Amino acid sequence: MGPWGFVFLAYGIVWSCLLLYLFSLKRRQRKAAAELLQLRSTSRGTD
Amino acid sequence: MRETDQKQGRGRTILGALALLSILVGLAWGLILAPPDAYQGEVQRIMYLHIPTILIAYLSFFIVFVASCLYLWKRERRDDILAYSAAEIGILFTGLTIIEGSIWGKPTWGVWWTWDARLTLTAILFLIFTGYMILRSLIEDENRGAICGAVLGIIGFLDIPLIHMSVYWWRTLHQPPSILRPDKLPWENVHPSMLLALSINFLAFLLLYFYLLALRFRVGEMQDEVKKLKLYGGQ
Repeated sequence: MGPWGFVFLAYGIVWSCLLLYLFSLKRRQRKAAAELLQLRSTSRGTD
Repeated sequence: MRETDQKQGRGRTILGALALLSILVGLAWGLILAPPDAYQGEVQRIMYLHIPTILIAYLSFFIVFVASCLYLWKRERRDDILAYSAAEIGILFTGLTIIEGSIWGKPTWGVWWTWDARLTLTAILFLIFTGYMILRSLIEDENRGAICGAVLGIIGFLDIPLIHMSVYWWRTLHQPPSILRPDKLPWENVHPSMLLALSINFLAFLLLYFYLLALRFRVGEMQDEVKKLKLYGGQ
């Protein structure tokens, strides 16, 4: 592998991992928000 | 409450946009505009990732340290959520630093990995905080888990001064710091064009870090609220 190969390998891995982490955070946020909404409406319904 | 959420959400969006913009500028400086190193050539461009990611990892574990101390003192859930969020992101940045370092090490040292003091201590830092996450997931009692996590978070942070000083205390393959040196100012040791590229990339990673931390903290708060609602039914 040439010098640019190592550079692109490092940049590719770093930015792929950061993007994957960002997407996983967004997914967790959406899941928690949906769960919260459902629990809040359930607790309001029982009041 | 909803208004505060909306304001925080807007703040996160602005922070995310600023981070994206600075990342693009940083990539242009790091990959195109900065000159290649006289000795290492193009491969030195990995430095524009390697130094910012390790400094961000240090910052993240410093936040774990401070939030853990605050949790042990005041026992507020927000401090524990902050410590946990910072630990998760700190592990990610430490792991990335080890991977980039390995990719940089192959063309410059001839090996992907060596048991050098700095590399080994960084791997230990990664393992300590991976242990922190495992410990937190194993203890069911939330308060006990938070206390144990806070103690481990404080102890784990103490590895960072060792990592920084390792290149002075032991004979290592890893070079001494280029920026944070006690004997020289950064611009006396690094060419201004490279220092500028490094500063832009550090700023980009810093903005990205605070965006990720704000998002992770919000997720932690929401998950905490979900747990409470499931336990007490909103009472």
